[in-house]
Amino acid sequence: MLDQFLLGLSVVLQPTVLIYAFFGVFLGQLIGVLPGVGAITAISLLLPVTFYLDATTSMILLAGIYYGSQYGGSIASILMNLPGTPSSVVTCLEGYPLAQSNRAGLALFVAAFSSFVGGMVGVAILVLAAIPMTIIALKFGAPEYAMLVILGLLAASMIGTGSQIRSFAMVVLGIALGLVGADATTGYYRFVALPELADGISLVSLAMGLFGVSEIIRNASKRRPANAPHLSISMRDVIPTREQARSLGMPILRGSSIGSFFGALPGTGAAIASFMAYAMERRFSRSPEKFGKGHLPGLAAPESANNAASQTGFIPTLTLGVPGDAVMALIVGALILNGIIPGPRLMVDQPDLFWGVIASFFVGNIILLLINIPLIKLWVLLLRIPYQKLYPIIVVMICVGVYSHRTSVTDVVLTLAFGILGYLMKNYRFEPAPVLLGFVLGPLLEDNFRRTMLLYGGDFSVFVTRPISAVLVAGSVFLIGFAIFSSVSNRNKSNRATT
Amino acid sequence: MIRKLLTALPLAVAFAMPVAAEDFPDRSLRIVHGFGAGGNADTVSRIIAEEMSKSLGQPVVVESRPGAGGTVASGYVSKEDPDGYTMQLMVGGHAVAAALYNSLPYESVDGFTFISTLGQFPFMVAARSGEYASMEALIEAAKASPGSIKIGHSGVGSTQHLTGELLALRTGAEFLHIPYKGGAAASTALMGGEVDVVIDTGTVIRPQADAGVYDILAITSGQRWPDAPDLPTVAETVAPDFDVVSWTGIGMPAGVPTEISDKVRGAVHAALATPAVSDKIASLGAKPSPSTGEEMTNLIAGQIAVWTDVIATAGIDKR
Repeated sequence: MLDQFLLGLSVVLQPTVLIYAFFGVFLGQLIGVLPGVGAITAISLLLPVTFYLDATTSMILLAGIYYGSQYGGSIASILMNLPGTPSSVVTCLEGYPLAQSNRAGLALFVAAFSSFVGGMVGVAILVLAAIPMTIIALKFGAPEYAMLVILGLLAASMIGTGSQIRSFAMVVLGIALGLVGADATTGYYRFVALPELADGISLVSLAMGLFGVSEIIRNASKRRPANAPHLSISMRDVIPTREQARSLGMPILRGSSIGSFFGALPGTGAAIASFMAYAMERRFSRSPEKFGKGHLPGLAAPESANNAASQTGFIPTLTLGVPGDAVMALIVGALILNGIIPGPRLMVDQPDLFWGVIASFFVGNIILLLINIPLIKLWVLLLRIPYQKLYPIIVVMICVGVYSHRTSVTDVVLTLAFGILGYLMKNYRFEPAPVLLGFVLGPLLEDNFRRTMLLYGGDFSVFVTRPISAVLVAGSVFLIGFAIFSSVSNRNKSNRATT
Repeated sequence: MIRKLLTALPLAVAFAMPVAAEDFPDRSLRIVHGFGAGGNADTVSRIIAEEMSKSLGQPVVVESRPGAGGTVASGYVSKEDPDGYTMQLMVGGHAVAAALYNSLPYESVDGFTFISTLGQFPFMVAARSGEYASMEALIEAAKASPGSIKIGHSGVGSTQHLTGELLALRTGAEFLHIPYKGGAAASTALMGGEVDVVIDTGTVIRPQADAGVYDILAITSGQRWPDAPDLPTVAETVAPDFDVVSWTGIGMPAGVPTEISDKVRGAVHAALATPAVSDKIASLGAKPSPSTGEEMTNLIAGQIAVWTDVIATAGIDKR
């Protein structure tokens, strides 16, 4: 294993390859910062370039854009409440409050460092356990996915900072929005009010609207717009204190493990991983009341999770030749352009490519950490731009980003509509994060549940007779039990306190 | 100086006038397609655009207008000016959509000037290695216990799905058709044992077959495929006359003047003749297949008839 990894390193450390690796992660980082322009857009723009590069270099370049954008996504989330990817939605929850309380630099540092550790754990799993992880991933059929999503939704209903009923209602709203488009089981069109909605509502426009645009409206509608606070950006304020650092160790470790696991399951990936990591931290924290107000462990865990997931997400692609999501499909497309059709034999037939790409993740994460720390000061300076100048620029960028996704004007209009919806929700203390989670997970649940019913002739017992599915069901039951138990015991406590 | 410019002006205007065929093209052209960037359609568009821009002497830009199985792009292109500057990269789904949708914002055959097919490719019937000895064995097993054998496909109304339904109709075997989101997901399900058979393109199936994970039981084209002459066809094993081949091709809005469409066809055929294009099309599992406009029209009309029949008989919801 180590020999092969060293072979990979020798491929990456050739100067030209190294330059492309650097270029990839740097570009990805920048793209990730731009609101609404995701890795997909960036990779598809650069796809023609791969005509002129060999397979290994193009794959290193494109993969670098992908995981580089995960780093970048957290920057826009922390500074401006603009989640570039669904996985950075959770980053907003703690990151943005930190920025608002003049601790943006600290938040960026913790995000970058957690991302680095998460990425490295992901790479380690990729090197050491790609094959066993593949075997586990193949054991996940429709019933397992359905139960996994239920577990995720239960965990998510604990994310909201306000009342559980409110956050539950928002999950349901998200699921409802996710119903729009062609039904995957029958192909029937549901709620397709406009022909442009045949493929559903765009996740990017929903996230940009509910988070970014609504925040801009909210700030603009304040009588005296909250101007940029006086910012201190000395390095001392950026680096966490020893005590803070100590409190981050376990969350980062837990986040990395959750992320590594979920990343390897084709089609679930980074978003679920980061939501799960956040919910887990919050549920098992000694001070859950601190969450939602800028709590560092709540930032570190999901950040490490989504970066670990973006690395292990390459496992099915590299070991089976089966792309797990749209980004992976693009990267596989680049290989095909180079005349290599990836399959289970990739590792044997193209060891330079296989191990070179994996080693490039290792190098790329180090490069990302090195370029991120000095850039923190620069990013924080962005906040010094007066809001009346910054906001119009951001709105234009959001529009361009959303449009570029599917070249659809409808998506842009919808983004603004979701912005207004998000503003109203915030005024009535409904939170946007559960909406997004419902939107992402709802269709996945429906799809896999109905597929299970088709496969097993409507027999519900498969959910408990298949071992992995049964474990997941037990997890859900445990979560429900835990929630009931803790609310009952809280009530007892508060009763005792009042009497 | 000014006088010189003034005398040159009428000349310049004359050159800028539209457009005798010998002047075509005097500006950039574009190839629109209806799928995401990086997908098969996008890849083929870029491969062909690069070569065509060399022979036409103008840039050829690829434009993605994804949505609703490619019908958004078809609707858009059919309403563009038939001046030869707008092309569409079409796929077999164009014929499927004509059969599957209750109403489309365009005429699937009469709304277009078809130029040429680019590549044709068969589908492959695959099972996990060692599960079925042959195509005949699969059909026998399906007949022995109707509805117990599961075929995973890449989405309701995809050509892959309809091919599976057609197989059932022509053989009298009954399958359980399970939808997945894309061929990769269906293939994963086959590997994991959730389904028994997947029918998909060579790019999905062949790497797994080469690695010994899958057996390819049969190929769906009417004749054996030159690229893989050892593979038996469905027609010679279980369903005589079975012939499903999907394709990519170039179309334009209806009403393009013949001289211009001929010129574009010439450029397409010239591009297909270069190794740069034909090798890449072959690596996507397709056979380069230059055709006349009439041949392409007949191919599409024929497929619309077949799929309309399959959709009605199999009871698939139209949309």
